[in-house]
Amino acid sequence: MLAIRNLSKTYANGVHALKGISLDIPNGMFGLLGPNGAGKSTLMRTIATLQDPDSGSIHLDDLDILADKQSARRTLGYLPQEFGVYPKVTAEVMLDHFAMLKGVVDKKERKALVEALLRQVNLWEKRYFRLGTFSGGMRQRFGIAQALIGAPRLIIVDEPTAGLDPEERNRFLNLLAEVGEKVVVILSTHIVDDVTDLCPRMAIIAQGELRLVGEPLEAIRSLAGRVWRKTAAKEELATLREQHNLLSTRLVGGQPVVHILSDHSPGDGFALVAPNLEDVYFGELRRAATPVAQAA
Amino acid sequence: MLARILAFERRLILNSPLFWIVALVFGGFGFAMMASDNVSFGGGIGNVHRNAPLVVINLLAAFSFLSPLLVTIFIAGAALRDFEQNTAEQFFTTPMRKRDYLLGRFGGGFIAACGVMVVCALGLFLGSKMPWLDQSRLGATPLGAYLWSFAILVVPNLLFLAALVFALATLTRSMLYTYLGVIGFVVLNVVAGNMTSNLDARWIGALADPFGSDALGDITRYWSSNDMNTRLPSLSGLLLANRALWLAAAGLLLIAAFRLFRSDREGLRWSRRKKVAAAAVTVEAGPTNSRIALPEIVLQDSPAAHWRQFLHQTRFELRGVLTGAPFLVMLLLGLLVMFTVLTFSGEIVGTKVLPVTSHMDTVLRGGLGLFLTLVLAVYAGELVWRERSLRIAEVADACAAPNWVALAAKYVTLVAVIAVFCVAGVLFCIGYQLAHGYTNIQPGLYVKIALLTALPFMITAALFMFLQTISENKFFGYLLIVIFIVARAGLPIAGYNHPLYNYGTGIPVPLSDMNGFGHFLLPALTFRAYWGALAIALLVLASAFWHRGTALTFRERLRLARARLARSSGRFVLAGSLVAFVALGVWIFYNTNIRNEYLSEDASKERRAEFEKANRPLKDEPQPRITAIKTDVDIFPTDLRVVVRGHYRLENRTQLPITQFIVDLDRDIVVRRLDFAAHSAARIDRANSFTIYKLEQPMAPGAQMDFDFELEIAERGFSATGVDSAIAYNGTFLNNIGVLPQFGYQQGRQLSDRNDRRKYGLPDIPRMAPIDDMAARANTYISSDADWIDFETTISTSPDQIALSPGYLEKEWTADVPGQGMRRFFHYKTDTKIVPFVSWLSARWAVKKDRWNDIAIEVYYDPQHPYNVDRMIAAVKKSLDYYTKNFSPYQFRQVRILEFPNFHGSFAQSFANTIPYSEAVGFIADLRNKDDIDYVFYITAHEVAHQWWAHQVIGGNVQGATMLSESLAQYSALMVMEHEFGATQMRKFLKYELDNYLRSRATERVKEQPLALNENQQYIHYRKASVVLYALKDYLGEDVVNATLAAFIKAKAFQPPPYTTSYELLDQLRAQSDPKWKPLIADLFDKITFFDDRVTSATAKKRDDGKYDVAISLHAEKKYTDGTGRETPGSVDIPIDIGVFARSADGKEANEKILFLDKRSVADGDSTITLTVDAEPYEVGIDPYNKLVDRNSEDNRKKVTLN
Repeated sequence: MLAIRNLSKTYANGVHALKGISLDIPNGMFGLLGPNGAGKSTLMRTIATLQDPDSGSIHLDDLDILADKQSARRTLGYLPQEFGVYPKVTAEVMLDHFAMLKGVVDKKERKALVEALLRQVNLWEKRYFRLGTFSGGMRQRFGIAQALIGAPRLIIVDEPTAGLDPEERNRFLNLLAEVGEKVVVILSTHIVDDVTDLCPRMAIIAQGELRLVGEPLEAIRSLAGRVWRKTAAKEELATLREQHNLLSTRLVGGQPVVHILSDHSPGDGFALVAPNLEDVYFGELRRAATPVAQAA
Repeated sequence: MLARILAFERRLILNSPLFWIVALVFGGFGFAMMASDNVSFGGGIGNVHRNAPLVVINLLAAFSFLSPLLVTIFIAGAALRDFEQNTAEQFFTTPMRKRDYLLGRFGGGFIAACGVMVVCALGLFLGSKMPWLDQSRLGATPLGAYLWSFAILVVPNLLFLAALVFALATLTRSMLYTYLGVIGFVVLNVVAGNMTSNLDARWIGALADPFGSDALGDITRYWSSNDMNTRLPSLSGLLLANRALWLAAAGLLLIAAFRLFRSDREGLRWSRRKKVAAAAVTVEAGPTNSRIALPEIVLQDSPAAHWRQFLHQTRFELRGVLTGAPFLVMLLLGLLVMFTVLTFSGEIVGTKVLPVTSHMDTVLRGGLGLFLTLVLAVYAGELVWRERSLRIAEVADACAAPNWVALAAKYVTLVAVIAVFCVAGVLFCIGYQLAHGYTNIQPGLYVKIALLTALPFMITAALFMFLQTISENKFFGYLLIVIFIVARAGLPIAGYNHPLYNYGTGIPVPLSDMNGFGHFLLPALTFRAYWGALAIALLVLASAFWHRGTALTFRERLRLARARLARSSGRFVLAGSLVAFVALGVWIFYNTNIRNEYLSEDASKERRAEFEKANRPLKDEPQPRITAIKTDVDIFPTDLRVVVRGHYRLENRTQLPITQFIVDLDRDIVVRRLDFAAHSAARIDRANSFTIYKLEQPMAPGAQMDFDFELEIAERGFSATGVDSAIAYNGTFLNNIGVLPQFGYQQGRQLSDRNDRRKYGLPDIPRMAPIDDMAARANTYISSDADWIDFETTISTSPDQIALSPGYLEKEWTADVPGQGMRRFFHYKTDTKIVPFVSWLSARWAVKKDRWNDIAIEVYYDPQHPYNVDRMIAAVKKSLDYYTKNFSPYQFRQVRILEFPNFHGSFAQSFANTIPYSEAVGFIADLRNKDDIDYVFYITAHEVAHQWWAHQVIGGNVQGATMLSESLAQYSALMVMEHEFGATQMRKFLKYELDNYLRSRATERVKEQPLALNENQQYIHYRKASVVLYALKDYLGEDVVNATLAAFIKAKAFQPPPYTTSYELLDQLRAQSDPKWKPLIADLFDKITFFDDRVTSATAKKRDDGKYDVAISLHAEKKYTDGTGRETPGSVDIPIDIGVFARSADGKEANEKILFLDKRSVADGDSTITLTVDAEPYEVGIDPYNKLVDRNSEDNRKKVTLN
């Protein structure tokens, strides 16, 4: 279990990226949802030993990640948000290189490992291709392969599905779900569906603070009977935003469709809908900064 | 649209700290160049104002050499920015026109680079306004020169470079290829610069240099001080051609960049790569994964594992760097630089040297210098930032390998780059040697050379890694690196020349074929170790500062680095290397500043000034004359020690009693014993090597006295400027002025540069006494305390060496000396009185002996250098032949030539019957091409001629003295050469002499003198004299000149003081020649005369009788200049050669047929001449063989137009 306690970070430019975050993350997929700039990447990088917090602690079971980075790095798999490659190096050579850097110094072991990993992510056929020629999805799968080197107990994946087409995204998420059963996998994303589909547990982070920690289904259930939908005219939107707790507005066939949160019927064309995680997410974001809701 | 983009760019630039930092650095450099009194760069010396127009132009041209940095920062940055920052798509999806986008990006960077140069010029301008500057060294502010520099040099250079870089950056989208283009640009400049030393290839260099500096040099090659102070170069000739060429190239590059630019993500794709990319797309991603069990593995984190990670990463980095096309191209460029250096360096008057290993060494260690430094700078930046720029860093940083693994792997990669260059360089040199038929390959020596070449680069590379690591981004790192490179070169120019504080520098390690690296090696390695220790410390620090994880502020990084050091074992390495650094530094300081004296240039000048102020009144103090020198000299080559037991016979030849002896003896020589009449030391000034002894009994006029001394010259470690080289393992060379006591105040110790004298409050004194100064004529120009002396010496040396000194060998023996082992002794003695200038040499020589009549000829040479010994012997014979026939008998029974190692200098020097001759000149000349000038023959003839001109007749210590020795030796050698090789070779040789004279005038520090009044000015008494005396002979006839010289010798040889003068020779000349030559003699010797002769048109018409009428339009003009180059018109009052030539069958000028050649009186200015010749004329000329001093000798001939 990954235990984060009172993690705070303020950047030199004054941005308060993390405000005393405390969080327990058990084995399995854990979704970290939040808008851009919420502090997700800061949190991810801090857990990945790439950045020091101003205060707080992170423990993976008995391992103090911040104090013993070297050991932490051996238990860690990290797929960063921006993941580049040496364009002229082949997949096999590159993976071999990362394996070496992680500490798989035995040549035979490394060779076997690289092969298994490439097969697992379905890149074995393409092992002699230069990484520069890979598509976005192939590159992300390669990213997962390198994150799996050395049987990590903690895998951090930062915005992995951004920019993937739906098919590539499915493939990628399946892969992630399989490896993520016995270890801690933190999936940071702003795509709500990723979390709904994969994660038994999740947290929502905004403005450096946790807004919600719990199980997605439980969180959705807490909104049952409270989310209302209406297809509105464009002119109405301002009024609706003023009068109601507006969760989201989206265009369906060119017409704005709004979701609002309300304990009783707001009447006038609103229909009750089954809540989804997106409603939870937007609900949390709209709420004034209040203590973390424990929905589990 | 375009205007908006440009405005956007301008805002970006002005808001960019980088722009301001770079601008301030450049402005600062500019300011320092002008405002610092110590810096003399750009030519502002002597009479040339510090802010003279040409100085300003030269300085801005020099800064223009830094413009590659500017364009890489501003243009490559701008061109690649949209790709690096992924904003390209945003830009390309806006409805912006391609032209606007490209021109905007290009224009922005270009304006920024120009802006920096403007700030730099502003710095120069402000610098010249500083109140502390010596106002008499400043002229009016040359605004025109600033404008000229920008219009002709700075802006076009930036434009071309910018176009190049922009084209490369937009087409390849690769920083590395872009840098490569910039380096290629620099290489072109270096290659072009190397060509300018060869008179025939000069124009190619001037055209090919993309900076235009060689072309500028060509235009201003013969400028006088006055020209530099007043004129702006004209945009014509080679400069115009050069500028047009490179501007056109810039235009083409821009068009290419524009045409080939593609606004999609991929950039320019070459067809081959397109196929590969297409193939990748066709491979489908395949079905979703299958479950594969990962093998059990163990992650290791032991030192052994780290070591293997290091090896692995090194291999990985090496593959990335060494297999890249850019590296290969850089290597080829490096070899190209070496090739041009090999081809052109070491040339003397156009004749090449044999590719001996010592020459290869100068090429390897000198030729790679700046080039490899730039390559390392580029790769240091690329390697340190490689993961970050490819966005791989986060993954790599989260891996468990420790910091030092990446750093060390990258450093080792840089070392490998150095190694590849060194090995390729060595192989290239060996190949060059073999290709030129030189088979004495010395692999062991090459290993040493390669290591000595590599070490400084390794030390520099460590600093580059460090600078890049502590920088926040790559460009800031590059900026620090450039500042370092400029500072390292600039510190010595600014007078801060101690290697102890100039990173990576040291003292010279000359390689001599005779002596190997000898005793120079260890001290030089000490400096390498000293900086090497610091380099290691810097690498440890770099690993503490290593970028890992998210970018931090510098303060955070400092804290982090401290924390990292505190817990890593690197701190022990750091401490160890710093201890070694300090310890070696103390050892070096002990050597340079305690065992030896270190004086900055300033301090040394100040000391000389103080010395002069205190002691100049003593210059007329009566002093004794040395009438005989007898010495026992023990040379211990392996101990680098010499003991001298000497005896002088002194005589008071003045009319006054002598009460005190002023003794001048090099401060580093230990006086073990000094034994002469009862005396006491009245003043000891060790710093100035100056002691005054008071005699208890004054020495009466006419009295004689013995003066005995025992001196020891011993190795004293090394100084800041190098290791004392007089005594060497093989090739010791000492002379009496250097090691024996001299009497009297030595005027040679005074400051001579006028500006220096003013700065230190000394009155202006003439550089040499005026020619009518009878008191000064009491001495010759080489000695102030002796006339003609008796000389006798016994030299001992180690048994494997021969020791030599002027005089005849009386006896040679070997003996076992207690405490010294086996020693070889030589006893030499002269039987006639000689000039008081003697030397002692010792080396392992081979000997070749010959005879000319009853004169013994001996050449003592290094067994590796037998090549030209026979040429030297032939030259000695021909010289003796000519000189005895035309001047006077030879006063000795032998002529000996002794080879000495190159570190003593590149000269030959004539002592009585003994001629030490540097291995660097003559012994290794490549004379296999018979068309080349045989300068071995020439130098030998010149030195033999000194046995007459200096050793029979020697001038008094007044103006014009060296005309009687150097100029007449030049004349004598020319005559021997002309008889040996014919007039064609002479013309070739004189072309170099004339060029050298005209070029050197600009470096004059005081004022140019006419030949007869020259003040030991080499460019006059050698170079101009060759031209002048050859012309004299041409006009008066060889017999008249020689008869004059013979009569002069007869009158003046071996004369007692007062010694003769150049005027006495000229009087003789006027007396013995036709009075009609008086104006000519005045023009040649008494004035500084220039001719401007040219053919303006030439036509010919065939007559009915088959002959041709040739009509020639001429322009003839004569000008006189004063010492600074101010011109006054003269009138052409001497006849000038007019020639008509037919083309030779092979088209070579050397074989042309002379149809008409005669001296004709020509009118001032334009005139016409009509001649009739027998065959079809090809060319006509006025002074067609360039016998007169003419600054443009190319226009003396013109092709004939047939009507």
